[in-house]
Amino acid sequence: MVTARGLVHAYGERRAVDGVDLGLVPGERVALAGPNGAGKSTLLRLLATLLRAQSGSLEVLGEQIPGGTRAARAGIGYLAHDPLVYLDLTARQNLELYGDLYGIADRDARIAELLDRVGLPGRAEDTVRTFSRGMAQRLALARMLLHRPRLLLLDEPHASLDARGAALLDDELGRAAADGRAAIIVTHEVERVARVADRLVVLRAGRVVLDEPTAGLDPMSVRRRYEEAAE
Amino acid sequence: MMALVRKDLRLELRTRETIVAMVLFAIVMLAILQFGFGTRDDDLTRFVGGLMWVTLAFTAVLGVGRSYVAEREQRVLDGLLVSPVPRTVMLGAKAIAIFLYMTAVEVVVIPLVGIFFVKGPYWDAIGWIAIAAVLANTCIALSGTLFSGLALFTRARDLIFPVLFLPALVPVVIAGAGATHAVAGGPHDMSEWRGYCLFLLAYAILFSLVCVATYDAVFDD
Repeated sequence: MVTARGLVHAYGERRAVDGVDLGLVPGERVALAGPNGAGKSTLLRLLATLLRAQSGSLEVLGEQIPGGTRAARAGIGYLAHDPLVYLDLTARQNLELYGDLYGIADRDARIAELLDRVGLPGRAEDTVRTFSRGMAQRLALARMLLHRPRLLLLDEPHASLDARGAALLDDELGRAAADGRAAIIVTHEVERVARVADRLVVLRAGRVVLDEPTAGLDPMSVRRRYEEAAE
Repeated sequence: MMALVRKDLRLELRTRETIVAMVLFAIVMLAILQFGFGTRDDDLTRFVGGLMWVTLAFTAVLGVGRSYVAEREQRVLDGLLVSPVPRTVMLGAKAIAIFLYMTAVEVVVIPLVGIFFVKGPYWDAIGWIAIAAVLANTCIALSGTLFSGLALFTRARDLIFPVLFLPALVPVVIAGAGATHAVAGGPHDMSEWRGYCLFLLAYAILFSLVCVATYDAVFDD
């Protein structure tokens, strides 16, 4: 689903991502952790095709980037710190817009299903500006899932989700693995994500310093492994 | 593309921020020009093209400069960019929205210019001025979308955008003013009007080619 080799992205002189190799197979969920400034979000934006790598090679969903960028984008679901929805449109109008951008055939039925799933059916006609942060982020979750993406890229998703949204996300990540979809979850909450992730990848100064399975490790052991690698 | 245009119009209908500000700005500017020039010269008919198109150019800077405000808020632009929609479609949608905003402003400005500045026949020239305005709006929309897109990724975007955009408007002001002058306030000089309109058409074609060639790079690099 993702094959990255020697990815580099620099902001001026500083290399935020410095020669990263990363692979992801269907059904796999990777927790991507690291201290602030380690390059996690930059790496996620590279994989989401929002940034272009300055060197290295990247294949996403079987498409070489940048050549097959458009085809890859159709299968990517991206959840960021911000909900990426228009505050002055209603929840439904936002989802209709994204439904049209992705060319979803059963748009209205899918929107109704997702609004119900994220607990916002009664707020569908309200503008997002009237939503709490947690509600807006649940709408963002619906936006991300709308086009049934095969690759989920999540940037600190638990940071702004309320309890209901976080439970929904964990449930979705569980289903993703069963459906053969893959996910990369950027996180500071290593113990929490360890419960749903199959692998822990730790970045430090733009480089991968740890890449190992979490199977058989309890959340505290994962946290210890992370701290040893990140320091 | 129509989904993106519909989105821009919905946002504008809900917030009424951009068009109302543009229309008010244009009226205030026309009033200032009237006070500035009208006290010295009773008949400003010979300047009418320049007065109209300088007003519209500065109004365009105000309005087009705000064209990505909604996308900047909550970083919605990332959501659009990660979708499989081609960047040129995004450009086209934004250009159509700007075109419609400018048209709304001109519906007010073109008659007001006649009331404020013209002594002599004007109302029979409105149709010809409107055709020139449609062509000029196309140029404004295409160049405005490109430069506001370029400025979007800079820290000093509010300063950089007018610096980039205003020079691109100089040919539009020259041709728009020329086309207006050719038909307003006296006998219509259709050959002069046609020449300026053809220039605007060529400028619009040139900018559409530049936009198609560069827009992917603007948003992907």
